[in-house]
Amino acid sequence: MTVSSYFLPRSLPEALEILQRHGPDLLVMAGGTVAMPLINEGLSMPGAVMGLRRAGLDRIERTDGALRIGATATLTQLLDQDAIPVLREAARTTGSWAIRNMATVGGNLFTPPPGGDVAVALLALDASVILAGPTGERALPLADFFTGFLTNQLAPDELLVELRVPMTSDPAAWVKFGRKHANTPAVVTVAARLRWSGDKIADARIALGAVGPHPIRARQAEQRLVGTRLGPDAIAAAAAVATEDCEPFTDAIATDWYRRRMVAIFVGRVLEQLAPRAEPEGR
Amino acid sequence: MSAHLNVVGQSVARSDGIGHVTGRTQYTTDRTFPGMLHLKMARSPLHHARIKGIDLSEAERVPGFVRALTAKDVPHNRYTILGLIGVEPEEEFVLAEDRVRFKGEAIVAIVAETEEAAFEAVSKVRLDLEELPAVFDVEEALKPGAPIVTHWGNNTFMYEGHPCRRVRLGDVERAFGQADHIIEGVYNTSPIEHAPTETTGCIAVPEANGRYAVYTNTQALYFSLDNTAIILQVPGNRLHFIGGTVGGGFGGKVDVIVEPIATLAAMKTNRPVKFSYSRSEEMQVSSTRSAWRIYLKDGVTSDGRLIARKVTSYADSGAYSRQTPYALTKHAANAAGPYNIPNVSIDAYCVFTNRPPTSAMRGFGITMASFALEVQMDKIAERVGVDPWTIRFLNAYRNGDMKPHRKLAEDATLIETMQAAATLVGHDLPDEFKAMTSAPRAGSHVEGR
Amino acid sequence: MASTIVTFEFGEREVEVMVRPMTTLQIVLREQLGATATKDGCRQGGCGSCIVLVDGEPVMSCLLPVEDIAGRRVTTLETITPAEGLHPIQQAFLDSYAFQCGYCTPGMVMTSKALLDHHPDPSGDDIGEALAGNVCRCTGYRPIIRAIGVAAEALRESDGEQPR
Repeated sequence: MTVSSYFLPRSLPEALEILQRHGPDLLVMAGGTVAMPLINEGLSMPGAVMGLRRAGLDRIERTDGALRIGATATLTQLLDQDAIPVLREAARTTGSWAIRNMATVGGNLFTPPPGGDVAVALLALDASVILAGPTGERALPLADFFTGFLTNQLAPDELLVELRVPMTSDPAAWVKFGRKHANTPAVVTVAARLRWSGDKIADARIALGAVGPHPIRARQAEQRLVGTRLGPDAIAAAAAVATEDCEPFTDAIATDWYRRRMVAIFVGRVLEQLAPRAEPEGR
Repeated sequence: MSAHLNVVGQSVARSDGIGHVTGRTQYTTDRTFPGMLHLKMARSPLHHARIKGIDLSEAERVPGFVRALTAKDVPHNRYTILGLIGVEPEEEFVLAEDRVRFKGEAIVAIVAETEEAAFEAVSKVRLDLEELPAVFDVEEALKPGAPIVTHWGNNTFMYEGHPCRRVRLGDVERAFGQADHIIEGVYNTSPIEHAPTETTGCIAVPEANGRYAVYTNTQALYFSLDNTAIILQVPGNRLHFIGGTVGGGFGGKVDVIVEPIATLAAMKTNRPVKFSYSRSEEMQVSSTRSAWRIYLKDGVTSDGRLIARKVTSYADSGAYSRQTPYALTKHAANAAGPYNIPNVSIDAYCVFTNRPPTSAMRGFGITMASFALEVQMDKIAERVGVDPWTIRFLNAYRNGDMKPHRKLAEDATLIETMQAAATLVGHDLPDEFKAMTSAPRAGSHVEGR
Repeated sequence: MASTIVTFEFGEREVEVMVRPMTTLQIVLREQLGATATKDGCRQGGCGSCIVLVDGEPVMSCLLPVEDIAGRRVTTLETITPAEGLHPIQQAFLDSYAFQCGYCTPGMVMTSKALLDHHPDPSGDDIGEALAGNVCRCTGYRPIIRAIGVAAEALRESDGEQPR
């Protein structure tokens, strides 16, 4: 590397102090699975880098009705928790074993599309991000965190320190469609969570990945489900309208028109996983 | 017969197996030498451009920068990959001169103390390029007014004065008039990257006696050595090429791209120089299998016999020849397939576009033809109303048949191979096909066998 | 920043290396320690030929600044090869012809080692999922999967007798 300084703080205050001292030229890195390939190819040549692997931001705890996931908790740690099963599914389909041992939940929010699979699940779970800066911490909904392609609400003097997910017993489902079965970028990723009131849907969350500048909520599709019994017609209608909620792009993995078609198919499949069966299991 | 065979018919451990499973096998870049320098290439960001100027002043100021090489530093700045076996002209540059013809073409070789310094210096090479129109499709490249990629004025390789390889047997047009069915199809394949797990690379090391040891993972040690000698204008005995285990080649390491410039850098610096492709260079710049477009027009009788086949095929050689003109020749000889067809016309073009140059890959020149031909045979079977086995047994070639390029078939085994395949998958062939052999037909040119 | 000294456990011995900032574990192993069994296929974390174990868990050494593993234990193909003979996983790969060019083999063996340490009796799906990060361009994977099954059986049979 042309890197002249590599900092490995042992605490959040130390990390914030290094960030304050070096400002926006400091490259902040957690798992390294996004930053290191660019540095290795000579496409990124930072002067100063801070690694967060040893800063103590990797605990996963269940407190106050929420699952609190440290920003540098690895995807393997997410795979090992059983508090929120859909997060295990999201982690399992991301990367490979060695990558999951290094890649972090927080880092997944900064991964360019078509990456960011775990963020899609977090979005469907109404996660919040906790940002820490010189004056303290603040929380905001993950849905408000992304502002555009590779842009977000993180201020230059802040670090992402935690993802906070409300504990829920709402049924949730996940699918990732890639060109291979494993270790592959997504053509489309879908996460859905439903809240039932009796036999009708009271509220819905459908999150999509790899079909926009960042993970997005398919809000029209969500609205289309409310008040329905999630029968085949409701599923088909929601799946169709989801294609209007996304802004797919063309890359080496798939074209924009193909991604849009796959949104309809895989929103449908995820909702079918959540459709009532003849003998509904206790909700 | 097998009574005293010690190897044939036995399971024999690989002689390099222990090295592979212990990691002791040495690959090209598993070596490091004191004072070794790193070579990284400044490459064209454009598909087609005129080079107006190169400014190295910023690059030279990068700490760790040692040396830059441009076209004028290369004694004979042309690859002659197949020139040694008579396939010419030489037209690819070691380092680009006045024009670049594909995105990723090498322009300036930067040599530095560390990889990071080399990357940084490359990023500071200032290229003054005038973008030119580019062409990416084989048929577009042959239209009047298309951007011309080559230096000889048209976008095809010339075969003895002709823009394509031509094969003629009988009279296809007359035979089409006699056919009961005409079946046409167009088949496209994409470029395929070999993607060996080990990337292309070499290390050139000055030796005490004035020779240069070049450790390389080329598949073609003598191609590499002879070409390096010609490019550097030195006698072959000043070069000591050392190969060994190649971490995957599949035809992708036969193009002699890294050794000449690395050896030149070692000569100019009197230090070992390593030039090893990054993964993105291996994907973007190293040769791929050619993309191919094949038009087939077949004349077939109502009982399923192929009496005429017209093939028009286009190989995308990319910006330079490498080995594609040779592949095309092999392709042309085989483009009608292993079938007995009395009237054949083949026009096979080696076309230049502004894509990365293409070259050898397993089944070189034939694999794409097989894809097109066998899908076409299934189409014919469907049209005529027979099954895919039948159409092939009816038309399979045998010893003594005249192949379209005027050679008699020898060692034909299509029939026997299909019979073995049918047995393997449990398909019961009609007795007529079970009894068939590749023995010459009655009255053919060849007796016996 | 000047070079720093990083200490870690390399197999059974403690090593000390002096590195420029953010030198990866892959480069330290291959260029400073002469341990070239760990390979260099992509530097993207995509091929798995650089996989080593840190505290028994597989990581992509090409993406890992060596400073991050100070004080940890690193296991490579060199450190599991016995002074005489072969580790059962190596023997299984040899007997099953589970390689052609050999470049992916070190990464494959290290992932297999980690898998069998976690799951002494892995299913076909377990093996497939474990190997998802190891690319082989030569074999088509079947002999490798077979070798892992052979190794698993050999290790279970000799449990307690062989060093794992």
